[in-house]
Amino acid sequence: MAEKAGQVTTGMKIAIAVISLILATGYFTFLDWGGGAMKIQGLDYFYLFRK
Amino acid sequence: MATITKQARKKIWAFLALGTFVGLLLLPLFLSLPAGAGDTPAPAASTDAKPVEKSRDVWYKTEGPVIGAPAPKTTDSAKDYPRYNFESRVILWVALQQHLYYGSFVLAVPIFCMIVEYLGVITKDKALSRKYDQLAYDFVKISLTAYSITALLGGIVIFTFLTLYPTFFGYLSSIFRPVMATYALLFIAESGTLYIYYYAWERMREGFLKWIHVAMSVILNVIGTVLMMLANSWIAFMQSPAGVDADGRYLGNVWHVIHTTLWNPINVHRLLGNMAFGGGVVAAYAAYRFLTAKSDEERAHYDWMGYVAMFIGICFLIPLPFAGYWLMREVYAYRQQMGITLMGGLLAWLFIIQAVMIGALFLTANYYLWQGMDRMPGAERFQKYIKYMVFVLIMCFIVWLTPHTMVMTPAELKAMGGQQHPVLGNYGVMSAKNGAINTIITTTVLSFIMYQRANKIPTVKWAPYGNAFLFGLFTMAYVNIIWLAIYGYYIPANVRVGLSVPQVASTLSCLFIGVILNSIMLKGAKDVGPIVWGKISVRGQYALIMLATSFTWMMGLMGYIRSSVRLFWHVNEIMRDNSPWAFTHTIGFGANMISFNVLFFWLTILFVFWLGALGVRKAPATAPVGQKVPAPAGSR
Repeated sequence: MAEKAGQVTTGMKIAIAVISLILATGYFTFLDWGGGAMKIQGLDYFYLFRK
Repeated sequence: MATITKQARKKIWAFLALGTFVGLLLLPLFLSLPAGAGDTPAPAASTDAKPVEKSRDVWYKTEGPVIGAPAPKTTDSAKDYPRYNFESRVILWVALQQHLYYGSFVLAVPIFCMIVEYLGVITKDKALSRKYDQLAYDFVKISLTAYSITALLGGIVIFTFLTLYPTFFGYLSSIFRPVMATYALLFIAESGTLYIYYYAWERMREGFLKWIHVAMSVILNVIGTVLMMLANSWIAFMQSPAGVDADGRYLGNVWHVIHTTLWNPINVHRLLGNMAFGGGVVAAYAAYRFLTAKSDEERAHYDWMGYVAMFIGICFLIPLPFAGYWLMREVYAYRQQMGITLMGGLLAWLFIIQAVMIGALFLTANYYLWQGMDRMPGAERFQKYIKYMVFVLIMCFIVWLTPHTMVMTPAELKAMGGQQHPVLGNYGVMSAKNGAINTIITTTVLSFIMYQRANKIPTVKWAPYGNAFLFGLFTMAYVNIIWLAIYGYYIPANVRVGLSVPQVASTLSCLFIGVILNSIMLKGAKDVGPIVWGKISVRGQYALIMLATSFTWMMGLMGYIRSSVRLFWHVNEIMRDNSPWAFTHTIGFGANMISFNVLFFWLTILFVFWLGALGVRKAPATAPVGQKVPAPAGSR
């Protein structure tokens, strides 16, 4: 098993890391804005951009 | 046949014992019912033909019959405030604080005991099961002596109240009479349950009786928690009264008097706080026993005990700030001015001290985990990351404790160009602090994940994906927390306040997703070597003592803040404190008093530890050096 795990190439690892970063970005954006956290607080997330 | 009959008899006795405990538990509630939990109380209305005077509840705004006398208007006289050539408030402060320390400890430890004993029962490995059982027994043994001291201190508190604040105490007890009676009965039930629980340990060690014993610990903790909640209702009433009219006259609804607006937030905050504090004290006990241990076996056992206690304490420390937020939110909702006095006015500097303590707690917890990695072969792989984590933690700690404004002389004020420092002032605002504390907690979670992995190599097929996911999760959580902290500088305060929600959500995501995913990844992982319990530097043990002392100091501090926010009121807006000691002490005096209380508590608890050590004839359920012993959350 351990050997199998070790077979992932560096390129593959970078690709997985990048995908993970994108996934995490999506998740935290969801938390920040789309997930309701902001809506519950009545927060205008785009305040600065509109200003 | 004879054996079956014997077993059946045992079962009947066990059920009877359990039934008695449940009965004892329900008895006080039953007795207090006629005292008027309903809206139509009997006493005042019945005999006379006179019309019943009605009045309006100050909080619930409901109408009720006037039953009690108005709150007494005290004067600075020997009748209301007897003098004994010393500040009465300070004497009461010491008595109450000591009672609270011991009370918290004896409420928290049986909860640990219940958890650990249950773990022992469900663990299939007999050796591990015995170790858990011994640990639970060790826990309850410490709390037993402390329990007697708590009761003694409770008596001293009542005596102090009666002699120093007789009028106020008379008023409070006239309102809370049924609650106080219930409290006394529950206290008897708690004592009985605790003593039977402790002394029946040996006899109920096996089989069905063991389950009854575990059930007894549940009952013990239910009684303990209800006791705490009843005591909380008195202080919550003093801070945010309900169930009385504007003159302080009791309106017959005891539930309104108990269930004031701050009661539940205080209940939750205190329960979590007690658990964190109890974990700290037990960890300090284990550290003390570790440092005084004569053999490797003893050291191994107490090292493990300290780790488990610290782990439980930290588990309850992490949600504590959120319970604190809830409490503060309710304080603001109740009286905005009270909230401002706490966090933006007279008492604000005490919150800076609190921030320092919280930062120190997290730093110490991280330090202990890093020291603990000494016991794990393979942990060297992670040593190189520690310096970066130290850097992040220290930087955040500095931001976290930067005050918003400084107390200055006019000349200093002029030299600095205002109340806020042109550079450092930027770090004294909530935006920076929220970012800092969330980064500190996230880094602590990362330390824990590192600790979990120290002597393991994940072997699951998807390990590279899991690692990449963890990397992505933590990286983006840090980015999100810092980005929101920076964004907060550019938006108005009413908008900014909402940013704390996604920041906290990011931290909690790392805590739950990160730790759970890591634990799953470590299932069936390759062991680099077993944890060598007892092989930890003494610095690690001092860190445990430091953790416990910080908990104790912080508890004294926050209790002082909560109490002194009433300013010159015994009962907020109902009964005024007209004693000569109704002023707010200086921060320095308050801090000295807290330190005195902490020192006094630790000196007396050392005596309790010493007594606990006297009873140990041999090293309990020892783990030979190098042998695996159980530890929570995949730290094996």
